[in-house]
This record gives sequence, C-alpha cells and structure tokens, in this order.
Amino acid sequence: MVSVDKIWRKSLLKTLTLGLVLFLLSFIFDAYNQGQLALVLMLFIGVLSLTVLTGSSGQISLGQGALMAVGGYSSASVITHLGASIWTGFLVAVFVASVFGLVLGVAAARLSGPYLAGTTLVIALALPSMANRFESVLGGDVGLMIDFGMPPTWISNLIEVGYEQWQLWVSIPIALISLFFVSNLLTSRAGRSWKAVRDDEIGAAVNGIPVARTKVIVFVVSSAVAGLGGALYGLRGLVGPSVYPVSLSLTLLTAAILGGVGSISGAFIGTVIVVFLPDLVSWAISGLAVSEQVTNYLPALLTGVLLLATIILNPAGVMGTRHRSKH
Amino acid sequence: MNTFISTLITGTATGAIYALAALGLVIVWRGAGVVNFAQMGQAMFTTYIASNLIASGNSYWLAFVVALISGSLLGMAIDLLIMRPLAHKKSSSSTKTLAATIPVIASLGILAILQALAGVFWAGEERGFPTPVNSFYFKNGTGTLPFSAFNLFVIGVVLTVLLSLSYFFTQTGVGLGMRAAALNPEVARLSGIKVSRMRTLSWAISGAAGSLAGLLITPSTNLSPNSLDLILIVAFTAAVVGGLDSPLGAVIGGLILGIGISLVTTYGSPENVFLAILFLLLAVQLIRPNGILGGKQVRRG
Repeated sequence: MVSVDKIWRKSLLKTLTLGLVLFLLSFIFDAYNQGQLALVLMLFIGVLSLTVLTGSSGQISLGQGALMAVGGYSSASVITHLGASIWTGFLVAVFVASVFGLVLGVAAARLSGPYLAGTTLVIALALPSMANRFESVLGGDVGLMIDFGMPPTWISNLIEVGYEQWQLWVSIPIALISLFFVSNLLTSRAGRSWKAVRDDEIGAAVNGIPVARTKVIVFVVSSAVAGLGGALYGLRGLVGPSVYPVSLSLTLLTAAILGGVGSISGAFIGTVIVVFLPDLVSWAISGLAVSEQVTNYLPALLTGVLLLATIILNPAGVMGTRHRSKH
Repeated sequence: MNTFISTLITGTATGAIYALAALGLVIVWRGAGVVNFAQMGQAMFTTYIASNLIASGNSYWLAFVVALISGSLLGMAIDLLIMRPLAHKKSSSSTKTLAATIPVIASLGILAILQALAGVFWAGEERGFPTPVNSFYFKNGTGTLPFSAFNLFVIGVVLTVLLSLSYFFTQTGVGLGMRAAALNPEVARLSGIKVSRMRTLSWAISGAAGSLAGLLITPSTNLSPNSLDLILIVAFTAAVVGGLDSPLGAVIGGLILGIGISLVTTYGSPENVFLAILFLLLAVQLIRPNGILGGKQVRRG
C-alpha cells in the first residue's frame, strides 16, 4: 500500500520535471516553435478538462471550447474594462467558468451518451452568439483585444525575453498547476468516487456516494479547468467568437481520444500530435508540387483519419495500452 | 399580415427539410443505435457530386437521382466499413465506459474526413446551387403571393417521401423486418430476419434522406464543406424534440423548428436563433426527456 503522501510527492516531482524540460525547451526552440509549444500547453489544459469529464464520468462533451470561451471572455472583460492584470484574469476566469459549469452541470447531469454530445455541440455553437447580445462588454463580432504583455522589468533586466518566449513562460506555470491539480484530484477520494459513479451508479449510491451531486461536481471542476485554459488561450491576442469556434471543441476531443481518454500523459501526447501535425504535414509535402487547397485540408484529413483509426483499432488511445496492463 | 403568412409558409418549407434530416437521424438511431453526427457531412458530399454533374452540363434531375443513390451507397459503406466492425468490437473492448460514445466519436471522425475530402477535391470556396423550379414569389396580378414554386416543390417532395416511408415501414415485409430488428434484435434474428442487413438498410435509407435534405436546403445556404453543419444541429434538436425513436415525432419536431426559426428570424434577430435552439433543446430534455412522441425506452446511451 503506497501512502497518499507518497503519491502526492511523486506527482509533484513529475510535474516539476516536466516544467523544467519545458523551460529548457523555451531556450532551444525558435520563436515560432516557442509559440507552438505555448499553444500545446493552452490546449493541453482544455484537453485536461475533457479528461476530467470523460475519464471520470464516461461522458463526452463537444462543447468544451464554449467553456474555454467563458473563461476567455471573463478574463478579457476584467482586463480590458477594469484594467486587471492577467493573473487576476485567470482567477476570475476560473470562478466564472465554475459558476457556469454549475448551471450547465445541473442541466446536463441528466443527459448521457449522444444526448449530451448533441446538447454540448449546440452549446458550443450558441454561446459565441452571446457576445453579440452584450456587445458593449463582450465586443460583439470583433471581440476583445488582449495579450500577454511584456515581462516585468525584474525579468527583462536579468535576461532578454522574446514575446513568444514570455508567452511560453506564462503558460508553463498555469499548465503545471492544472496538471498537478487534475492528476491529484483523479487519484484522491473525490476522484475515486467519481469513477465509482461512472462504473456503477447503483453500486456507488449503495456505498453512500451522492450520485447526482457527484455528476454536477464533475462538470464544475471540468469547466473550471477549461475556463483557465480558455483565459490563457485568449491571451494570444484576441477573445472573440472566431477564437472559440466549434472546431476548437472537436480539436480538444480529438486530442483526448488520440492520447487515450482518461490518461493525463495521453492528454499531453494527443495535444502535441494535434498541434504539430499541420507543421509536420507541410514539411513532408513541401518538396511535392501540390495545390494550395490540398495543403489547406490535408492536416484536417489526416487528423480525421487518425481519430477514426484510433477508435477502430485501439479505442484506448496511445497511452491506453499501458494503462490496461497495470490492472 | 402578408409577412406573417409568408413567414409561416417559408417556415413550413424549411421545416419540411429539417423534418427529412431529422428523420434520417431517427432511422439510424432506431435501426442501429447510433446518432449519426456525420449525416449532413454525407449530404454535403453528395450535394457536391450533384453540383459537379450540373456544372459539367447534365440536367438537374440526373444530378438529383445520382446524389440520392450515392447518398444511400455512402450510408451503406459507413455501416459496412466502420460501424459494423465497431459494434462487433464493443463487446470485447476493455473501454467499457466509453462504449456508448464510441459510435458518436466515430461519426465525428467520418464528418471530419468527409469535410476535409470535400475541401481537397472541390476547394473551400462557396458555390451556389440551383433549384429545379422558380424560387421567386408568385405574381398575382398586382401583388405577390407569399410563397414560391420552390416552396411548394419542397413541401410536395417531402410529403411524398414521408408517405412512401410510412407505407414502407407499415405495409412491406422489409420495412416491418427493419422495425422488428430495431425493436428486439434477438427475437428478430430467431424469426429469420437478417438483423445486420436491416441495419445496413437503415443506413442506406437515412443516407438518401439526408442527401435529399441537402439538395433541398443548399439553394438557400450555398455549398461549402461546412455549409450543412447547422442543419445537423437543427435536425438533432428536431429529433430530440419529437422523440429520438419516433419518425412521426421527427416530422413534428422539424416543422416546429422550421416555423420557430422562421418566426425568430423575422420578428426577433437572426443571432438569437442559436440561443432559441439551445433553450428549446434543454427545455425539452428537462421537462419531457423522451420528446413529444418518444416511447419510454428511448434512452439507450
């Protein structure tokens, strides 16, 4: 029996190691790839929110991008209108997204399977149109312009930091906090009770787990994480309806499935695949004479094929096989 | 007053198309237990085929028939190549908790592939799509009547399809076999019905219904790889409102949404349409989860 304390320390160690590796990569990569790596971390947080939801309830959401939008809009609003710092923006995003998740969870906890998938898809589509209803605050079709800003003087006096590098440096701690939080949560008493509800609702209820409340809490936690990711994602320059389209939600789902649903390392690997695949494709076909329309759609085609192949050949995803052998 | 009547008639005509798309979803859900999120992607693809045929000088009607046939072939191919292997695999897979959502994810993958393929083949630019009959409002001496020949054509076509489908499902051996296979696969198999063949047939019928909906709606939405995404959302809502396992419910749901959206667009603002759809979808699922006409056993997922 491994003590809880030891698990906690082990995952802290893993998280810090990942952080160190990412920090070192920020010096090795060129500006473009620094930005791409920052993008990986932003989407990774979104995929983590899906891992929380799917891994511990068995449900899939096609509307995770909408929850990211909630986070992005709430942080952008306090930054633009109240002049708050981006760090305050993150806190506000987590809070507002949690509240939103509570409302959503109460409605959605009763839904399952294709019903939940379809409903969340409609949410992903409907929510951006809210921006037009509250145009004065949320900026309508255009959106709100925000960015990472420049590093504080005590850092820039010490070392020269590029914009993309600063982007990456802000993203690393946020992603690490989410990672540490989620990985510990899933192994904690709460996380284990969520899985009990997933595996057998009646069995869980008999053992004293409040099933309905648990389902709602899963939604709240999932949206809080998504909101944080969305706030970070919005700092890339603009928070608007075009930044959080339906395809963002589908990208998150694809990343989660490719890596292996419910696996945290899988979530990271899946996100890396999804972000770097287009670059890889354009590098691979750069020598060939193909028209622009092929180049534009080839990454999407490959992602779709990968998704389908994963579902048919190995539904447990890249990290799934290793997980299975542990049991 | 004229605006109101014209809104109602336009709403009924688009509602009839939504009903058709919703019916396609219901048929596959009943027949194979899958909500096919790729359905309007398939329809987009076959509409592109029709569009190319017309562009190369063929008649609308040839393109129309070819699109319907390729729609049903595409539906069959999806079942035979993807959904049937998945269904057989489900029992042995260790990912039990995801079992209900695996077909959903597969259909999303198919949708992504179809849209990307359409982009690769036919570029991402929007193109128009013709109507077989005039889509301008009828002239009546001095004024205009509040509907067009195309409105009537759509309502006529959809009505014909609905009547022949209801004849097919209630009066023919194959149609009854499909319903039996959907209702109780074990018993149907013991009575000598080839259940998996019935499933493939429901994919084919649903594919054709979706294609028809695509052909009829595209003149008003234009054609691009993503142009039918919204129709899928509306059709899904219509199917849930009517009851996912009730064909008649799908038709009622489609008409409710068609007329509702038409009214919201005319008297409210177009950007409220999605919020209205979301509100309706949530309200129905909270108040009457089985839909207007759905049976008690609707929920399989």
